[in-house]
Amino acid sequence: MHTDELLPVAAGLFEGTGSAARLIGTRCTSCGSHYFPKSLSCRNPQCLEKAIQDVRLSREGTLYSYTVQHYQPPALFRMADWAPYAIGSVELPEGLRVMGMLTGCDPTSLQIGMALELTVETLYRDAQGQAVQTYKFQPRVTQEQTA
Amino acid sequence: MRPVYVLGAGAHPWGKFPNKPQLQLALDALGGALRDAGLAWRDLQGLVAASSRLEGGMGWGLHANEILQAVAENGIPASNVGGGCAAGGIAVQSAYSMIASGQCDIVAAVGAERMPKGFIPRPPGSASDITDNDYLRWVTMGATNPAYWAMETRRRMHEHGTTAETLAQASVLMHRNAMGNPLARYRKACSVADVLASPMVSDPLHLLEICAVSDGAAAIVLGSEAQARQRGGQLMEVAGCAIATGQFGDPSLRIPNVSSAVHTGTPHTSEVVGAVRRAMAMAGVGPQDIDLLEMADNTAWHLLAWPELFGLYEVGQSDWMLAQGELDIDGRCPINPSGGFLSFGEATTAQGVLQVCELVWQLRGQAQGHQVPGARLGMSAVLGLGANGASVILKT
Repeated sequence: MHTDELLPVAAGLFEGTGSAARLIGTRCTSCGSHYFPKSLSCRNPQCLEKAIQDVRLSREGTLYSYTVQHYQPPALFRMADWAPYAIGSVELPEGLRVMGMLTGCDPTSLQIGMALELTVETLYRDAQGQAVQTYKFQPRVTQEQTA
Repeated sequence: MRPVYVLGAGAHPWGKFPNKPQLQLALDALGGALRDAGLAWRDLQGLVAASSRLEGGMGWGLHANEILQAVAENGIPASNVGGGCAAGGIAVQSAYSMIASGQCDIVAAVGAERMPKGFIPRPPGSASDITDNDYLRWVTMGATNPAYWAMETRRRMHEHGTTAETLAQASVLMHRNAMGNPLARYRKACSVADVLASPMVSDPLHLLEICAVSDGAAAIVLGSEAQARQRGGQLMEVAGCAIATGQFGDPSLRIPNVSSAVHTGTPHTSEVVGAVRRAMAMAGVGPQDIDLLEMADNTAWHLLAWPELFGLYEVGQSDWMLAQGELDIDGRCPINPSGGFLSFGEATTAQGVLQVCELVWQLRGQAQGHQVPGARLGMSAVLGLGANGASVILKT
């Protein structure tokens, strides 16, 4: 039986959906470094205080690099109707490069440097019928395109 | 600290050996290294093994203990070192330290591995939450190891204009080098067209541009100067021997992480670059002094990127060097005359030891069929899980 409840692939990784989707990371208030996912401590060896707090990361970034996976990953990864798909590394303003699945465009139209934004999509439904979701990046819709 | 010398080297051929336990592979390699050194099991004063989590070691990575209990219960210190795929290099460095410190006069390092079929299973007891990067990379996006390497490759194509043909050519070079090496698993020549016609695994990397996994074992016996002189022949010094870990801000896409906190000025693959720089400083040599490099070529991209990272020549120059034949066995800067991971397949923890064995044979002039002419100084470089790097420099 399907329910409307949504389940993240891992707790504490992201929150919200659509344009409200945000990755949850860590910011070191002492040295300004950012981490994703949340980290136990600041990793900067020069940072002495290592005072950290949870932070919602920017949802917009640019594509640093990408690949299209042609073989199915091991069973820990689940995806309804598996087909080759793109994974990218996305440069965020915080100085972080975050990897994630790419969606919302044909892999042949991907270009390094293109503007992307965070989104959340369903990967599969679990045995209880709950939609299990992961974060992805998609081409950013610019204001001109919206107008 | 006192100088350390190579006494012997031995290796089991690489391949798939379903009927030979990991321990047997280790005994074959170590026995061969001892014979090569003109020594017997009873002469060993210490044994360091690269710990594997895949087979043997009583499930606790106690591979050195297992070897001693199987063949020579002589009471000597056994040390088992972890380091993922760099464990072999770290084992050599531990053996080096035991002799350099004066604690022992003859110590062996060994790495032996039988790789499982398909994807390597997760270790027991792994956390299934956001504290485990390996778990995360699978559940969030199913990022395989080739996916990480493919993104590095695509970025290089973007930054340096590297072509698909150049990547294929790097793989062709490894297969050509391996034709003359009886220890290699894949010893058939292939062409650029063959490589490009092999299945696309993770765009832009084809199957023949990514290393397979194999079974294999290698061992090296190190000793003091007195021991080396007693054996006779040409002295071969371990001139540099260093391990390192990753540095904060490293821009590489490090398996199994799902992000990198990038800081300008930190070298790419800093764990290996750090080890290489330390080894060179120890040996008092620079990149221009290296006659050959044995490096971890998990993919064709590594063959182009790593020599540049080590400063062997300028960043972006590998494509030209490869096209000119300068990376060939008889070129100015031979890379992996053995045939590398692409022709051996990776037997993870054994690989870092095999690299050093290859340097030994090259510097002795015993690398029949793939000998670098006049090699006097060779360097190894290997990378392992947990941001581990190791590098060894041998010289005659």
